[in-house]
Amino acid sequence: VQAVFSADGQLTAVNVLQLPTDRKSVAINNRAVPTLNREALSTQSAKVHTVSGATYTSDDYAKSLQSAIDRARANGITKLT
Amino acid sequence: MSMPPATGVHHVEFVMGMAVSIDIRDEIDSTGVLDAVVSWLHHVDATFSTFKLESPISALGRGELELGDASPEIRDVLRRCEELRIETGGVFDVHAVRAPNGTTFDPSGFVKGWSIEEAAKLLEMHGCGNFCINAGGDIVVRGSPSPGQNWLIGIRHPDEPQALAMLVGGACRLAVATSASYERGAHIIDPRSGAPTTDLASATVIGPDLAMADAYATATYVMGLDGLDWIARRPGYDAYIIDREGMTFWTSGFDRYRQWAQG
Repeated sequence: VQAVFSADGQLTAVNVLQLPTDRKSVAINNRAVPTLNREALSTQSAKVHTVSGATYTSDDYAKSLQSAIDRARANGITKLT
Repeated sequence: MSMPPATGVHHVEFVMGMAVSIDIRDEIDSTGVLDAVVSWLHHVDATFSTFKLESPISALGRGELELGDASPEIRDVLRRCEELRIETGGVFDVHAVRAPNGTTFDPSGFVKGWSIEEAAKLLEMHGCGNFCINAGGDIVVRGSPSPGQNWLIGIRHPDEPQALAMLVGGACRLAVATSASYERGAHIIDPRSGAPTTDLASATVIGPDLAMADAYATATYVMGLDGLDWIARRPGYDAYIIDREGMTFWTSGFDRYRQWAQG
């Protein structure tokens, strides 16, 4: 399970997964420095405000992390009348 | 719950074939602000949608409307698309693929980011200084979510829809756009070859303006690893890319946006 929910179904945190780290180095010039991610990241858990990803359709939205974040935010707001 | 009650306005609008999440953290009277932004998004949809056969953009694509007779707004958008085509060496091209309306004219790759950047300006005109808009995974943030805090933005993990690969933030004015194939398959075409691009799992571009960041993310995705060098030459913009094997690469300027989970 990569997204962590509380007992009442609120999204509380999302796991940040480590991606593979070692491969041949890439060409580096002095303007862009493509950086291989060599850090020993353990899986972290983060409370994010929003998520960037490829465009999902309205149908896919219902299953997305962003929709879980939206539900949590909507439930937490004190309604200003 | 022990959390203090949050304030502000939150709304999700389904428009342009996607969900647009609007999260305003200012204590304001919400009605007029939300009405203005929602009306704007529906205006953009009616004007620029290539799914709607009756839209001016569809009429332009069929040749029934001359560019000179189009609205200043449309002409301005198409001028900026043409500038991007030249800037990207033809990688970003509104004539690259067949549009849903059957024509080969589709500026949607610019219109989405541009319309959300304009929506952010609209919120600012209404006195909002602290908000986040997420339009199908492309984001603008302003100010902060609460005093002393920064907006924390996750970049989706390409293989795990419910996990993140990277955290970014740390600035009070940011745009973040991601181009990838995991949601709609290999749908991004390299106009130079006519073939789908396959090198990268995802390309994220971060910078000051979502209109540019969105188009740059598409261009970077098509360019593959070469896109890093290209983005590094765009003042104010940086990129983070993940290849098909899960290797991650980023421009040197991207480091200033990296965030780490607390605790």
